[in-house]
Amino acid sequence: MDTSSPSAFVNGALLGRLAGRKVRTVVQVIGSEIGSVVGKTTDDVQIFVRGSSPAPLTTYVEVIGIAESDNSIRAETWTNFGNTFDPQNFNELCKLANGEFKHLFM
Amino acid sequence: MIIVLLICSEFEFRNSGYRLGFLAIDSLFNANDGKMKIKAMLPATLTSVITSGKIQNLGLIRLLDYTANDIPGKSEEKYLIVTKCEAVAPALDSVIKAEIKASNGIMLKSKQDFVAKSASQIINEQRGNAAPAARMAMTRRVHPLVSLNPYQGSWTIKVRVTNKGVMRTYKNARGEGCVFNVELTDEEGTQIQATMFNSAAKKFYDTFQMGKVYYISRGSLKLANKQFKTVQNDYEMTLNDNSEVEEARNEEAFVPETKFNFVPIDGLGAYVNQKELIDVIGVVQSVSPTMSIRRRNDNEMIPKRDITLADETKKTVVVSLWNDLATGLGQELLDMADKHPVIAIKSLKVGDFQGVSLSTISRSNVVINPDSPEATKLKSWYDSEGKETSMSAIGSGMSSSANNGSRSMYSDRVCLSHITSNPSLGDEKPVFFSTRAYISFIKPDQTMWYRACKTCNKKVTEAMDSGYWCEGCQKKDEECSLRYIMAVKVSDSTGEAWFSAFNDEAEKIVGCTADGLNELKSEEGEVNEFQTKLKEATWSSHLFRVSVSQQEYNSEKRQRVTVKGVSPIDFAAETRLLLQDISKNKTSH
Ligand SMILES: [Zn+2]
Repeated sequence: MDTSSPSAFVNGALLGRLAGRKVRTVVQVIGSEIGSVVGKTTDDVQIFVRGSSPAPLTTYVEVIGIAESDNSIRAETWTNFGNTFDPQNFNELCKLANGEFKHLFM
Repeated sequence: MIIVLLICSEFEFRNSGYRLGFLAIDSLFNANDGKMKIKAMLPATLTSVITSGKIQNLGLIRLLDYTANDIPGKSEEKYLIVTKCEAVAPALDSVIKAEIKASNGIMLKSKQDFVAKSASQIINEQRGNAAPAARMAMTRRVHPLVSLNPYQGSWTIKVRVTNKGVMRTYKNARGEGCVFNVELTDEEGTQIQATMFNSAAKKFYDTFQMGKVYYISRGSLKLANKQFKTVQNDYEMTLNDNSEVEEARNEEAFVPETKFNFVPIDGLGAYVNQKELIDVIGVVQSVSPTMSIRRRNDNEMIPKRDITLADETKKTVVVSLWNDLATGLGQELLDMADKHPVIAIKSLKVGDFQGVSLSTISRSNVVINPDSPEATKLKSWYDSEGKETSMSAIGSGMSSSANNGSRSMYSDRVCLSHITSNPSLGDEKPVFFSTRAYISFIKPDQTMWYRACKTCNKKVTEAMDSGYWCEGCQKKDEECSLRYIMAVKVSDSTGEAWFSAFNDEAEKIVGCTADGLNELKSEEGEVNEFQTKLKEATWSSHLFRVSVSQQEYNSEKRQRVTVKGVSPIDFAAETRLLLQDISKNKTSH
């Protein structure tokens, strides 16, 4: 496991706090524009994921990349997470990983 | 709407500090509008805005709804309970002083047109409110139920009685008495249970009429007993002789919004046989005719109708409608079943029939094609892909025959150490548990099967000439089949245990039949397929249903753990269970 460049679990609300940092999130793909994918985070925030996405994308996609603003990520890694994914679970994970249990995460 | 601008300073997070009393109010901060300071609290429902970082120390927030309360014992001091707020600006460099307040106000006003009130104004108004009761009635400020808490002085609520219990008598060490309760719902759909004892019960029993609207004040609040709570509220209310209950006439228009708290169908497992009632929304897949069921306690025949619901989790669940819901609404549903309406049901019991099933109770509330975003989303999902999707019943894979003691894979969940650290478990009669664990070892040289009769599965013996003799069937057969009886070692984060597994469960663990495994064993060659098969079966996790019993072994009692069911792991459901455990641990520390 590569620990040299950790990526923080984020949902939409947490994204803006980590601008410039490496982050990891899961979005529901709702559309695409040139050079970016429009996704809905697990807490229902619409964000833009920039970079070249692999095709085809499944309903849920994990992206790892640099947080650019509170609604955009420049993605380095895209991983299809399939069409059945529990957004609530991931959202709770993000909250725990950035809140009370932050010390357990890199 | 009253809007106040406040700057939070000296912001504290009190998650663990208020263990009992402040469960629902766990953020305390000082709000400051440049002129004076007032203490304020956020209810637990708003903690996400804090954890998400939207509200920070020295941040600027806009209060959209709040109540001002007395601090018990300090008549001059007030504090605010904020029920709705939004962040306006991020943290400032320092606490705002009065002289720079003006420019600050302008900055915000340009953003949006609103009326700002200072904290001192609010306090003065609240003081004015402590006037005679007559004036109270005319100008009574109705508190939303969501803002009530045990530390608040006077309040008035306006609620509809949405359920009325029967008068019950009780007997305990302190004597006999009577009690009854009502379920109250306010305009926002928030619910609370109110209980009355003895003289208060007698006083208000006739006053409270199902469906009518009341102003209520002077009740007391305490934390709800989770075991018995039937509505979504952290608190419950007690009304005594001094409480005021006054019917509000001509209030037909006061319709409480039914507030749903939907559980997705694939998440229902965690609620099996719990006291907590749940709400569900789904697309109607099928509707059965009515049946008459004899009620066990009084032999009365009551009508029942089963409907099957599906949702985006691609799972289905059967909901049993009882009584009037079966005959009236059920008939309506049957007539429109081919149109696959969306229905939302409030207050259902989750049972273990067929693994997981739902059942209406007297207070259940069904809404056909509700006008809500969830319903619209569900309908469009169903029309676009859901109707073509293959769905499975949520209860399948959770075998529920009575003899294996199975309730559901989600109830009575334990870890292995719970079983192994308690050697007398199952002493009187076998006890059943569910546990999630890894197969860690299958000893390859154990006797892992026996020769069985193809008719009755009993052990057979080799007949004298050829074939096999079954004592049970009293006959000889040329062939027999092999059936597993094996010991497997399982591990979880708390320890290890040996489980005994019989044929059907062992097949699921090993991944092939005993005959199939025997064939691999007899094959000779470079690679031993038999060993490979057993290795493949190890370090995979399963959900086990087990029975724990005591067996005499060399005149010594020993614990025996037998596998009664094996299911694959539903990771999303397991995660939900873990999250529940985490939040349970948080509240109990
Ligand atoms: Zn036989």
